[in-house]
Amino acid sequence: VTLGSVAQDSFGVWSTTAVLLVTDPAALGEARAIADQELAAVDLAASRFREDSELTALNQAGGASRPVSALFADLIATGLRAARLTDGAVDPTCAAALASLGYDRDFEQIRAGTAAPEAGLAAGLAAGAGPGAGPVPGWRKVELDASARRARLLDGAQLDLGATAKAWAADRCAELIAGRVGGGVLVSLGGDIAVAGPPPDGGWRVRVTDDHAAGPDVPGQTVAIAQGGLATSSITVRAWRSGGQPVHHIIDPATGGPARTCWRTVSVAAGTCVDANTASTAAIIRGEAAPGWLAGAGLPARLVRPDGTAVTTAGWPAEPAAG
Amino acid sequence: MPGDDQQSAAARRDAGVRRVSRMTWRAGAAGVICSAIIAVAFGHHAEAGTAPPGSGSGTITVPNQPPTSAPGAPDATSGAS
Repeated sequence: VTLGSVAQDSFGVWSTTAVLLVTDPAALGEARAIADQELAAVDLAASRFREDSELTALNQAGGASRPVSALFADLIATGLRAARLTDGAVDPTCAAALASLGYDRDFEQIRAGTAAPEAGLAAGLAAGAGPGAGPVPGWRKVELDASARRARLLDGAQLDLGATAKAWAADRCAELIAGRVGGGVLVSLGGDIAVAGPPPDGGWRVRVTDDHAAGPDVPGQTVAIAQGGLATSSITVRAWRSGGQPVHHIIDPATGGPARTCWRTVSVAAGTCVDANTASTAAIIRGEAAPGWLAGAGLPARLVRPDGTAVTTAGWPAEPAAG
Repeated sequence: MPGDDQQSAAARRDAGVRRVSRMTWRAGAAGVICSAIIAVAFGHHAEAGTAPPGSGSGTITVPNQPPTSAPGAPDATSGAS
């Protein structure tokens, strides 16, 4: 599809939608081929739902040291860095906690087996519903020797790299495509957005809202970015019921349960998509402390409460007056 | 005898040349080994370095400029999935 001077391709990946935009329409096919190859490699390395993935092998190693590929080592390192930079708020050892809530298979299968998140679920989630299985083992239980390319999980820790791996893949695809085919590129993986190369005039226009699959008319805000990444975390979309309780996928490492938060949705712009995703996820978990933390880090962000009111930080543009 | 002195001097000279030769060879071999170690180390890091720029930073990286308001139809949507 060509929209003005920008060509677009969209396709399903990881139970969500990928969108690929390039400023050189002739480059779209090659860009898609690069994205397909990279996404397949990341899936084989880090999928929690593939028996043949490196992540599954490491999770099933019983604490033994295992060799890891360069790609998987980078993905683990990215998850550990996110934990370190957020004082453990974004923790890669939440796999067992997620599984205990029923998120033990591809989310499409969970979504197909349960009713869609109903109206008011966000308020219920934010109010504190959802069990906690106890603190997760924690990122310090992950040993990675990047130079020797070996990793080990201690004390029963189980890895889930879902959040950071998806954002890492968006960054990686954007950089590779811009470098190999030239021109500007935007890669969105389920709403985690990375851009690279020269943007179109006025920048890449991105609608921020709860659900990446929503249309342009739902509540939200449209902003333009020219570089880096933009990511949104929300408790309203990847949500389901577990034991009759509303739960979502953003785990608070301190409790092992869904984060009890005052934010429905948080969007952050950063130098990379990984960093934007790390910050938006941490903001959900940090709750009322998040705006101060984001402002202190100089990160432009938009935080939305369950009633729809928004707080912004660090130069995020004001919303146009309604009317 | 003068002949014995000459033979002894020649033997000492030959021994010295052999010693210098052995040292030169060992230094060369050590250089080759060091070069190989450096090549392996740098080659390994290059292979492992697949992370995109910025993802290895010690802080969360801020964008070059904050987002700006953008009227008109969006190119993409950032939301949860």
